[in-house]
Amino acid sequence: MAEDIHCETAGTIWKLWVKEGDTVTDGQELFIMEVMKMEVPYEAPCDGVVKRLSIAEGDVVKEDDLAMVIG
Amino acid sequence: MSWKDEVDQIAERRRLAVLQGGEAAIAKHHDKGKLTVRERIDAVLDPDTFDEIGRGAGEAEVDENGNIVEFSPANFVLGFGKIDGRRVVVGGEDFTLKGGSPTEAGLRKSVYAEDLAVKYRLPLVRLHEGAGGSVGKSKHASLPSAVFNAPRFRSVAQAMATAPVASAALGAVAGLPAARLVSSHFSVMSNSTAQIMIAGPAVVERAMGEKLTKDELGGAGVHTKNGTVDNAAADEPEAMEQIRAFLSYLPSNVYELAPVSLCNDPVDRREERLLEIIPKERRRAYNMRRIIKSVMDEGSVFEMGRGYGKSQIMCLARMNGQPVGVWGNDPKVLAGAMTADGANKARRFMELCEVFHLPIICFVDEPGFMIGSQSEREATIRHGANAALTSALLNVPWASVMVRKSFGVAQVAHYGPDAYVLAWPSAETGPLPVEGGVAVAFHREIAAAEDPDAKRQELEEMLAARQSPFPRAEALAVHELIDPRETRPMLARWIDRVQPLLPSLLGPASFAIRP
Repeated sequence: MAEDIHCETAGTIWKLWVKEGDTVTDGQELFIMEVMKMEVPYEAPCDGVVKRLSIAEGDVVKEDDLAMVIG
Repeated sequence: MSWKDEVDQIAERRRLAVLQGGEAAIAKHHDKGKLTVRERIDAVLDPDTFDEIGRGAGEAEVDENGNIVEFSPANFVLGFGKIDGRRVVVGGEDFTLKGGSPTEAGLRKSVYAEDLAVKYRLPLVRLHEGAGGSVGKSKHASLPSAVFNAPRFRSVAQAMATAPVASAALGAVAGLPAARLVSSHFSVMSNSTAQIMIAGPAVVERAMGEKLTKDELGGAGVHTKNGTVDNAAADEPEAMEQIRAFLSYLPSNVYELAPVSLCNDPVDRREERLLEIIPKERRRAYNMRRIIKSVMDEGSVFEMGRGYGKSQIMCLARMNGQPVGVWGNDPKVLAGAMTADGANKARRFMELCEVFHLPIICFVDEPGFMIGSQSEREATIRHGANAALTSALLNVPWASVMVRKSFGVAQVAHYGPDAYVLAWPSAETGPLPVEGGVAVAFHREIAAAEDPDAKRQELEEMLAARQSPFPRAEALAVHELIDPRETRPMLARWIDRVQPLLPSLLGPASFAIRP
């Protein structure tokens, strides 16, 4: 089952730790957003593979933008 | 002579009643990916438990011999049933008949739903798809309702004060059904098929000149973000599952305690990852939902309202089988700050727990009210004070775990009366976070420094150390400073401790709950 990871808020993609095709494990940090001076890490919600990646470091994103799909 | 002819007529009417709007109307409904109201009722209830009320209600045409020529059933289906073996009242509009816009008999049945829930003290499940009144294609004009009738919404309010009310929007829901949909303790809408509108696109375009689709006007993208409904579901079956899940945490009414289930998750489980889940870097957020899931009984967390008031997380969950309300800040959203909508969400959640006597567990990382011009425009202080006062007047047992920040007036909402307070070593508390406080209190000193940034940082670090939880533990300002891995065992012991208090809380709340 695929899990879509959306950005919870607007912000900037500060660090991106994975690329398409990477295998990830539940709880692994995938990327960090910078939001109003806070660093906001996003983790894998399950074990899987990064099936689709829609963000790059430096991207300015909006709330609900799709960041990646883990499947 | 027997009554066979009449009995045959009863059977014929019952046969016609379940045909709903007819084969063509049902096929059209299915083609849109929707279930009929009878299929919905079967989906939400335990198998073969539906016990219908008013099967013969509707409009019948008979010939000169008294034989039925045509029967148009009431377009609201109502009855009793069971969910997880517990009795409920269930009802919903039949969209295949007049688009769910109430027929006379349909309206009578629909408003009876709340009466039944109140009379029998049973949870009410409403499965909505339909509009309000119509200006009329009716064959004959009906009498307007009597001036002395009880207010239509009195029983709706009484139902909410008596028993859990859970509603689903499964197609277009407008007017009266929309108002009843939201007059619930929990509401869910199907992402793929539902819209909720005060008035539909045609009326809106006529009156306002706005040309919008139903989804643009009232789809899940609108209403899960403004708090109209609590949750979205991918489709109708998931919406039914959510209703069943919601009800599993609640008692059948305010006179009973919530059902305690068998817990296979050890109460002394120490979750190792909690030791490092809070980053030492104070600007770094973390995953509060992971903390909640780690501490509560495995697989027991049911979140409500994720899309609305997002800095505050509200869940139903279990601790050693005991249903509880769980409230946590989400540091990923506005650092967890209390916004106007977050405060509303919290107020409503606390009232739900109070009405049904669910203990509350709060994971606190509250930096304070959201500041700035938008926050002021949203009257955050008024809504926030509302949440703080609500919390101060609750009677349900309350435990708070200070996970990180606990600042300002906003924090007081996170501690109910006589709260059992645990603090993690990462807890910081005070009138306001050092980052803001230093800039205000030491602005002259910072401005006069050779390197203002370095001075600010030095002061911030010095004052942050003073917000450490150790002095609070020494002063018994918290009950216990704990290893985060001890959280579940400590809360499990607390839940055991409060059991004798719960029966004394039974009965209606001292306030009337509002949607």
